[in-house]
Amino acid sequence: MGTNTSVVDSKLRFHWRLPEAGETDGAVVTRDRDARDRGRPDLQAQASFCVRAESAGIDSVLVNLQFSVPDPMTLSLALATRTERMRFMVAVRPGLMSPTLLVQQVNTFAVLTGGRICLNMVAGHSPDEMRYYGDSQPHDQRYERMEEFLTVCRAFWQSQEPVDFKGRHYVIEQGRLNTRFVSDRETQPEIYLGGASAGAQEVAARHATVWMRFPDRPGTLRQDIQPVLSRGAAVGLRMSIICRPSRDEALEVIRTLMSSPQIEAKRRSEASFVKKSDSQSVRSVFEMAQDEWLTPSLWSGGAGVLGAPSIALVGSPDEVVAGILEFKEAGISHFIFSGWPKVDEMVRFGESVLPLVRRLEAASAARPTATPGGRKVVYRLD
Amino acid sequence: MRFHWSLSQVGDPFRRAAATRDMSGRIDLQCKIDFCQRAEQCGIDSVLMAIGFTRPDPMLLSVALGKETNTLKFMVACRAGLLSPTMFVQQINTVSSLLNGRVHINMVCGHTPGELRYYGDFLDHDARYERTDEFLTVCRSFWADAGDVDFDGTYYQIKGGRLHTRFSPDPARGPEVYVGGNSGPAAALAAKHAHCWWRLAEPPVRVAASVGVVLDSGCEVGLLVSLIARPTHEEARRAASALIGKFGDDAREVHRRFARGSDSVGFVSTYEAATADQEWLTPYLWTGAVPFLGAPAIALVGSNEEIAQALLDYNRIGVTQFLFTGWPDLDEMTSFSRHVLPRVRELEGRDGDEH
Repeated sequence: MGTNTSVVDSKLRFHWRLPEAGETDGAVVTRDRDARDRGRPDLQAQASFCVRAESAGIDSVLVNLQFSVPDPMTLSLALATRTERMRFMVAVRPGLMSPTLLVQQVNTFAVLTGGRICLNMVAGHSPDEMRYYGDSQPHDQRYERMEEFLTVCRAFWQSQEPVDFKGRHYVIEQGRLNTRFVSDRETQPEIYLGGASAGAQEVAARHATVWMRFPDRPGTLRQDIQPVLSRGAAVGLRMSIICRPSRDEALEVIRTLMSSPQIEAKRRSEASFVKKSDSQSVRSVFEMAQDEWLTPSLWSGGAGVLGAPSIALVGSPDEVVAGILEFKEAGISHFIFSGWPKVDEMVRFGESVLPLVRRLEAASAARPTATPGGRKVVYRLD
Repeated sequence: MRFHWSLSQVGDPFRRAAATRDMSGRIDLQCKIDFCQRAEQCGIDSVLMAIGFTRPDPMLLSVALGKETNTLKFMVACRAGLLSPTMFVQQINTVSSLLNGRVHINMVCGHTPGELRYYGDFLDHDARYERTDEFLTVCRSFWADAGDVDFDGTYYQIKGGRLHTRFSPDPARGPEVYVGGNSGPAAALAAKHAHCWWRLAEPPVRVAASVGVVLDSGCEVGLLVSLIARPTHEEARRAASALIGKFGDDAREVHRRFARGSDSVGFVSTYEAATADQEWLTPYLWTGAVPFLGAPAIALVGSNEEIAQALLDYNRIGVTQFLFTGWPDLDEMTSFSRHVLPRVRELEGRDGDEH
């Protein structure tokens, strides 16, 4: 990937996770293996979410992949036909299909939607679930395979010539695809790659547009992400947001959330999920959740029950905006948010958080030297 | 009888005359939407969404076209070597939910080893059929919707497999499965797994000799064939001559090369028959376009009445479905629905009365 560089006064980019069927009302959904409602696309509710996210100024919606939800590629395309600008961040796991077929699907998606697709590369975090798909790669080889997968994909996107690749996991001979990627912004889809392990970071630094991770205290984060930033990838946070007119009201949301009747079942299913997971980030966040608050506005108390993505910026719009900009100072340039309730939180973000972020970003761009000691962060534009 | 049409060359009727690397992979979406909407009016059951490196992805294109149609089904082609069977079922089930069940699958094993390697697939012909057998076994276990899927095979090992997105609208009934290929392994695979076996057209006696084991298993038989039906026999013959008058040595060379690189029994034998000066295999079954447009260009040529009779002749030996192409497809399909299909239904009724 080319390393066009720019300083950090570029605008932050905000993405939102698409609610699953049955989640749109804000209910707490467990990881229960029999929670079959989640598998059924709820086109009406999900399309309505996307339309509202589009007008709220959300960049893309993340559409997850796992056994309990619909296929994200085809679902995203159906949603894309009902929106105009919104992009779809489609989750992809290397173990499930040939990289050539993935590129063919992505390119077809791009042709049909004017390039409104980006990819969320995930290695998979549950060995049990991976075996549902016939995938039994151990953890360390999953990133080796991810590396090969992305090398093949990017060769298709970057070259007009036939693709040859000989690796341990993939061998491609004289590969061609006549349906090319189409977009007026870029020559290949942006790649958001998640994972905390050294393997994940290495692949992200080499191939990703954005390395996605879970949050931490900004000071710690600033140091942790330096190696990846210095190699030209941007860094994004997968997290939640609980914003209300006042801090007290936001705290009340947490109290309600944590005392909901399903929370005990959710606690059990999450503990069993974490126990079976071999993902380093899932485990380390679960341990981090022993602290209720990482900073006065960064709540981690739900992570043990609601999962790592539930670490949330909590407070009034001003407090949440301050938290976001503090992350930006630390070198973060993307966020993938979710919230409770799923739709209202996103709409509120668009109304009372995003405009303030943009105003402050514009003000700081007009005063480039106003942050003495603020370090210049380099990230990739393409 | 049920009738399907291939979307493969819609908007680009002579794409097969060009070298594969020159075939456009772009999508003339409006043209395909127009065709699909017309197909609904023409009584066509489904459109074939072929797979290959020269084309857009059939699964995604089906979603886009499905949004513009109401009753038409999409027969999505799949090759086992490209993705996990679990992932394939998840995609098909999602599409079934998005299109209210309007999806069939067309399982193919590939025809050109060189192309399969573009996708990282290096298996030989017979091994591909073994793998597809395993692939369909896994898929059908998911579609049986009867608990966790476990499978321990040579090519796939699935443990405790489950998917929460079930086939729509009826989870206990998966998609109709079509299996394509003229070879013995293809027939055996169809007999084991498919609702219908697709094979390239041959004269009725040859077809009759090959269908026994398939029909005995309860699987239907369908023919892939092109159509040139006109008001009179002479007009149809003239249209056939005019068609090949468009092509020269370049198109011939494209298919000479294709046949050399292919390990498809049906494609290669059809091509060989066509180039061995067997232009008319029966009074209506014509191979004249095959040297220029490839094996799927084997065509039924004749008056509307003759074509209707020819379809009935196949029907009497057990063929119950047809997958057509035409030049151009939109006109041929429209004419088929107006002038051939009503006559077919009439003859079918008469046949039914006799039995």
